[in-house]
Amino acid sequence: MKTIQIFDPARCCSTGVCGVDVDQQLVDFSADVEWARQQGAQVERFNLAQQPMTFAENAVVKNLLERSGAEALPLILVDGEVALAGRYPTRTELARWAGISKPVIEIKPAGGCCGGSSCCC
Amino acid sequence: MTDRQLKFLNKPPRFLFFTGKGGVGKTSIACATAIKLAEAGQRVLLVSTDPASNVGQVFGISIGNKITPITSVPGLAALEIDPQAAAQAYRDRIVGPVRGVLPDATVKGIEEQLSGACTTEIAAFDEFTALLTKSALTADYDHIIFDTAPTGHTIRLLQLPGAWSGFLEAGKSDASCLGPLAGLEKQRTQYRAAVEALADEARTRLILVARAQQATLREVARTHEELAAIGLLQQYLVINGILPPAEADKDPLAAAIHERECVALAAMPDALRALPRDEVMLKPFNLVGIDPLRQLLVDTSSLEEVQVDIPAALEKPSLAQVVEAIAQDGHGLVMLMGKGGVGKTSLAAAVAVELAHRGLPVHLTTSDPAAHLAETLKGALDNLTVSRIDPEQETERYRQHVLKTKGAKLDAQGLAMLEEDLRSPCTEEIAVFQAFSHIIREAGKQFVVMDTAPTGHTLLLLDATGAYYREVTRQMGKSGLHYSTPMMQLQDTLRTKVLIATLAETTPGLEAANLQEDLRRAGIEPWAWIINMSVAAAAAQSPLLRQRAINELREIEAVASRHARRYAVVPLLKEEPVGVNRLLELTGKN
Repeated sequence: MKTIQIFDPARCCSTGVCGVDVDQQLVDFSADVEWARQQGAQVERFNLAQQPMTFAENAVVKNLLERSGAEALPLILVDGEVALAGRYPTRTELARWAGISKPVIEIKPAGGCCGGSSCCC
Repeated sequence: MTDRQLKFLNKPPRFLFFTGKGGVGKTSIACATAIKLAEAGQRVLLVSTDPASNVGQVFGISIGNKITPITSVPGLAALEIDPQAAAQAYRDRIVGPVRGVLPDATVKGIEEQLSGACTTEIAAFDEFTALLTKSALTADYDHIIFDTAPTGHTIRLLQLPGAWSGFLEAGKSDASCLGPLAGLEKQRTQYRAAVEALADEARTRLILVARAQQATLREVARTHEELAAIGLLQQYLVINGILPPAEADKDPLAAAIHERECVALAAMPDALRALPRDEVMLKPFNLVGIDPLRQLLVDTSSLEEVQVDIPAALEKPSLAQVVEAIAQDGHGLVMLMGKGGVGKTSLAAAVAVELAHRGLPVHLTTSDPAAHLAETLKGALDNLTVSRIDPEQETERYRQHVLKTKGAKLDAQGLAMLEEDLRSPCTEEIAVFQAFSHIIREAGKQFVVMDTAPTGHTLLLLDATGAYYREVTRQMGKSGLHYSTPMMQLQDTLRTKVLIATLAETTPGLEAANLQEDLRRAGIEPWAWIINMSVAAAAAQSPLLRQRAINELREIEAVASRHARRYAVVPLLKEEPVGVNRLLELTGKN
């Protein structure tokens, strides 16, 4: 089983509800991660505001931050290699990386995705 | 002088928590309670969390973050916890190891995320869990008195079973506002035990401290209901600082204050009326030192005439002078900022009326829950439009909207987390500011005066993510203002003037200074300070009020010399500032 690591931007809540608008992508992605875990996938999430050491200790992540800044997050590593950066993966992508064969029913985003929400706690 | 039995002191349990907003005198009452219990032969530990704790000053010794015996009161010891310092220590623990390792901008972003009110409160709660649970630390004491209490939001977070699933153990769950706990060392069991101690009537009593003012009582009623809903049922109410009725005979202002307090108490929300209640009279002296504090909880039947050396009229800048300067720019956004209870709504209305009086077009927009102020102004002046939003309604609408749309696919546990996140103090600020934002665009053509504003912390976060930028660009796009970012709009004093509202009292003054620091972090320089409800500016005759006026002078001096670029002092009025004429009186123009 491959290990999927998600390096989130700095925020205090993974839902981002404290932002000016709740980010549907974040809410959906949290649901997708939960789904993948239930299918047996190994998914880890790290929040820059809570576990910055994890970011600093991983050369790939650290390099990205140095080159492109925190704006380039989220960063997704699969077995330590870059799989995606700058956006959250879809459920299909998660399933492919984790080798989940079960058919995927995508959650369609409701309305326009206005990303970049953050939190103020 | 008669000693009377105060209800909240009757058979006190081990833990006493005093809660109430800044300036109601909860620290004084906590200190007085500690002295009283210690002098009755109990062993007492007094815990202060006031960021500028004056407990040390009150007892004339230096205390700090360690249990220190108060030698002048046998049986009493004290401890000062500084929540800001606790939050800073927490931030250092998280950020310290990556400083110099990750890019500076990234580190700065992390620190901003960890600078909110929730972080500070949870860091402070972390500090006092040990006092609530570890017997070794507190075994020597019969009573532990806290001059503050955690809010419902913090307690609920700690109660949420879902919040704990894997969070503290693994440290990498997708948790919410609970995030700040990740870096703290205490164990989950200890937090749970602390919350249990709080909810245990046999161990804990919560004392709500308020003043006899309608807005304050409404706020305390909300706190009461929120804490009762999570099981903190052992609650008492103390109304502090009531003007002794005897003073009412001595001058018209004192009579008016007395009358107003009676009205406020008569209109007390029912939920509060049901609580055991004590009333503590206003004292003419400063509550510093053991003797004055002893007298705080004692009825003073008559006041000795104090020799008061104060000019009848205070020579300080008036609000009209500040408005004069605002008026010169012809248009712009004016935001009143400050803690609840300092009269932001009245001041916003006074500024708007004064501007309209000068023939300038003004839109006053208020979140005043009482509505009557806005109602009386509608159609009162040609150039003045008034609109009002209800913060509770807006917040609830925002919550429901988020839960219905974004939470639609979440399971019960996920929904509970989302719901709790939406009860964070930030949510109301954002919901209200959103409701106002469509009015802001008018500030390019006329004056827009608001009685509410988001804190610098929220503005920084919103700005950093760009979400706010897009939002306001959309809102302000057609306004014809030349600006590059909305943050610049708020930072530019030609376009936006932030007025900090405060009172000439120690704690409110301190809170205002903290607010100013917060805004400066966001690059926003407050344009002026307004010291509201000043007795010194009201030319009172009653000896008690004159003494209070003298005490105010030092606070006014601190604002004038240390904090503010420009400032104004607004007198305490005999009648509530409702209607055009009385509002003009506030500006000092009548």
